[in-house]
Amino acid sequence: MVVPLGAFIAVSAVLFFIGTAGVLVRRNAVVILMSVELMLNATNLALVAFSRRFSSIDERGSVFVVFIFVVAAAEVAVGLAIVLSAYRNKPTVDVDEIRQLRG
Amino acid sequence: MFDLIEPALFALLTIAIVAAGAGVVLANRITTSALLMAFTFLNIAGMFVLLGAETVAMFQVLIYVGAITVLILYGVMFTPQSPRPYGLFFQTQKYWAALFVVPIAIFVALVAFSFRDSATVGAKGGDLLPLATSVFRDFAFPFEVASVLLLAAMVGAIVLVKRDED
Amino acid sequence: MPVGPFGIDPAIWAPLRLVIAVLLVVGLVFNGALAQIYLERKIQAVIQDRLGPLHTGPWGLLQTFADAIKLLGKEDIRARLTDKWFFLAAPSIVFSPMLASYVVIPFAPGIVGADLNVGLLYLTTLGSMTVLGVVIAGWASNNKYSLIGGLRSAGQLISYEVPQIISLVTVVLVVGTLSMVGIAESQPGWQLNFLVLPLAFVTYFIAGLAETNRAPFDLPEAESELVAGFLTEYSGMRWAIFFLAEYGEVTVVSSIVTTLWFGAWHGPFVEVFPLLGVLWFTLKTYFFVLVFMWIRATLPRLRIDQLMSLCWKVLIPLTLTNLVVTATLLLVFPNTVVPVAIANWILLAAFVLVLPYVQRRRLVALRERLRTAA
Repeated sequence: MVVPLGAFIAVSAVLFFIGTAGVLVRRNAVVILMSVELMLNATNLALVAFSRRFSSIDERGSVFVVFIFVVAAAEVAVGLAIVLSAYRNKPTVDVDEIRQLRG
Repeated sequence: MFDLIEPALFALLTIAIVAAGAGVVLANRITTSALLMAFTFLNIAGMFVLLGAETVAMFQVLIYVGAITVLILYGVMFTPQSPRPYGLFFQTQKYWAALFVVPIAIFVALVAFSFRDSATVGAKGGDLLPLATSVFRDFAFPFEVASVLLLAAMVGAIVLVKRDED
Repeated sequence: MPVGPFGIDPAIWAPLRLVIAVLLVVGLVFNGALAQIYLERKIQAVIQDRLGPLHTGPWGLLQTFADAIKLLGKEDIRARLTDKWFFLAAPSIVFSPMLASYVVIPFAPGIVGADLNVGLLYLTTLGSMTVLGVVIAGWASNNKYSLIGGLRSAGQLISYEVPQIISLVTVVLVVGTLSMVGIAESQPGWQLNFLVLPLAFVTYFIAGLAETNRAPFDLPEAESELVAGFLTEYSGMRWAIFFLAEYGEVTVVSSIVTTLWFGAWHGPFVEVFPLLGVLWFTLKTYFFVLVFMWIRATLPRLRIDQLMSLCWKVLIPLTLTNLVVTATLLLVFPNTVVPVAIANWILLAAFVLVLPYVQRRRLVALRERLRTAA
């Protein structure tokens, strides 16, 4: 019995929503970054599922996933650099408290 | 009997992914969140293997578990904060939230489960050769742009955390 | 009715094969580690002109068992830790990828755990998961020296992954497949990859030394630096697991070197008796393990900044040059590997001859600067 494509998409959707909830609810900047990674992973899962099960041409979905890996790695590196710089300025990672640019 | 292995594995991986993802968001201690995130990445790699995309699964483990988790652990280590409980469960809006979330969830589930496998898809074998051909032939220019992006991110991250030593 | 190997029903053979493979690997890894601990002490002793363990058993052969019994009996000290679960999990996270690496290594024609067509990529992936365990071990120990040792070790491991992977990619360019079985089969008889790509072998060996935290790159776990680095708070059986992981990783790196450059199981009479391949493979692998130990006994330790500059300033440009030259030559002369071999030997000669010359000039210039500044 083959697992239907819809099941993979449903798992991807659930993970994406969990990640979104994490971004919206949590205040710690590093946890927000982690939730963003969860969302990216959910997208990767959906793309690979479609590429392997839906298209019969080639692996273009997987190619896009490779580029998402690259972008996610770059984003985490720069994001953590920003968080660490902000921490050095004022020793907190609570995004509610980093509000010096607020009007 | 061997027919049921794939759905059983899929069910196991799904439970692990959803539970670990929820754990990342809900855990009180940030270190638990980081390790559960690594666990989620490993399970997603398992899903990739289940789909037959083993090269992408290897890249997933190599990049996410091997590098991004270490980066996040460095971030966790260098920004210590005492874990205080956050008010997730005592908001007054949770009933309204449930009211909105349930129809959206049903709608999304219906849309998700309506996708069907393409009729022309058969057992396709590994994904190494088509993936490599696509990346280095059809998408060679985005590949070069991606390497420039990585270089820029590397330089940018180093510059951002450099201390101004006067 | 399909008949499996040795006439066993295939439905029974599948799980039975799994059980046999697991028992074999566990037996090999643990016995290999026992043998390596003994060999290391004896070989270091011989090179250092002393005798090594002598009293426990004939020629000190039971020394490892004595060590194991002592380690098992040690008190499980757990200081006030940052995180109990991380502390407990770290040895497993370092040990498991090493154990999982044995799946794709071809011991003999037909005897391989799983012929993944991305076998080499699988091995590099597992090598990168060790970093996680080391970082967690260093941080969970609630000890400044452990933390610094763990971060240094993680930095070393991550840095040396790059020349390691580029060397492997160079070999894959020449061979054309990522599958370990395919690479092993592409070197029949005397046509070893070593004759074609010696520079990749040298750079991979150096990077492998650093990846396994082995001398001369063993700064994170050396006893005269930072107490014992990220291993400080681990005593008894937990320390033993880290060390098993290190010796197992040494064996894995040696196996990879054997497969990629020295024709895994090829040797005399292996076409007639396929199982003889296991003997040739083991001999070649343990030859490289002995070279690891020889290097440990001979070379002094590198400082962390010397280590990093060796990686980023010497090995990475070298491996990248090797990769570009190999790829270009393979495109220009598609059917033969002789130009690649010539270019590689020239580059290797340049590396071996030019580098000490450059270093000596830099040292002389540095001494001049210091003398005129003083």
